[in-house]
Amino acid sequence: MTDITAKEQPKHKHRVVIVPCSGIGKTYGTVSREAAYDVTEDLRPAETQLVALSKLVLGDETARSVVADNPAITIDGCKLACATKMVRESGGVVAQDFAVLDVYRRYKEFKPQGIAELNEGGELLARALAEEIVGIVDNLTVGGEGGKNG
Amino acid sequence: MPEFLETPVDKFTFKVATDRFYNREGVWAKPEGRSVRIGLSDFLQQRSGDVAFSEVKPLGTVVTFGDEVAIIETIKVNIGLTSPVSGKVVEVNPAMETAPEAINQDPYGAGWLVVIEATDWETDQVRLLDSQAYFAQMKVEAEREVKRG
Repeated sequence: MTDITAKEQPKHKHRVVIVPCSGIGKTYGTVSREAAYDVTEDLRPAETQLVALSKLVLGDETARSVVADNPAITIDGCKLACATKMVRESGGVVAQDFAVLDVYRRYKEFKPQGIAELNEGGELLARALAEEIVGIVDNLTVGGEGGKNG
Repeated sequence: MPEFLETPVDKFTFKVATDRFYNREGVWAKPEGRSVRIGLSDFLQQRSGDVAFSEVKPLGTVVTFGDEVAIIETIKVNIGLTSPVSGKVVEVNPAMETAPEAINQDPYGAGWLVVIEATDWETDQVRLLDSQAYFAQMKVEAEREVKRG
C-alpha cells in the first residue's frame, strides 16, 4: 500500500531562517554571527537555517527563495539594520528582529570586545542572544508550520 | 542666525545648535535662567557611536568646570564627559537610565544629560566657545577624521 501521508509531505521542511549582520571588522557584527552559529549549529540545527546576508545582497536566487518561503529572524549589528532590510527586500517576512546593542543593554555584564575573536563577554553575549532567538524559534515551530510565511 | 549651523563632511552631516555654548570636547551648555542644561553635540555623538549606557552624576552633586559629569559607553568607546559649568546638579534626564539612545536620536533635545544650577555662569561662559567658533573647530576635526579614515 502506498504511503499517501509520506507523499503529501512538503518537498522541504519549513525552517526558521536566521540572517545575521555581515559587518566584518565590527564587534557587534561578530556577536551577531556567533549567535547565529550557536543557534543553527548547536542549539536548534534541525529547526533553523543560516542564510548569509551577502547572498541576499548579491541577489542569490536560492537564498532569496529560502527567505521568501520561511519565517526569518534577523540579527543586526548596527542601526542601519541591513539584515532586516534585506530580508524584507527579498520578499521575506521578519518574524523577529534583534539588534545586538539592545541585547547588550539587557546583559550589561557581558561587554563584547574583539573582532576576529570575541572576548569572554562577547561570547557570553552571543550565547545569551542565541538563547533569546531559540525562544522565538520554538514559538514559531510549535505545531509544525506555524511560522510559515503567507 | 539660523537654528543650526550645518556642514556635510564625507557621507556625514553635522549640525551645531546656535542657541548654546560648547566646550572643546563638544559638550554643550544652554543657559536657562539660573540653570544650565548640558548635553552632547551632534558631532560628538556621531563620532562616539551608538550609546549603550550612560551614567550621569546624581542629583545634588557639586561639580566644577572641567569635572567629569557623565560617562557614556558606546559601541566604540567609553567617554568621560566634562562639565562646561560649575554648580550643583538639580535635574537628571531620566532617559539616561532607560533610553540613552536619546543622545543619538536627539542630541540637542531629548538627549540632554543634566541641568546644573550654575554658581558663576558669567565666568564659565567666557571659557566656552560660541556656536560659530565650535562649528569651525568641529569642521576641522571632522575633516581630519575623514582623512584619517
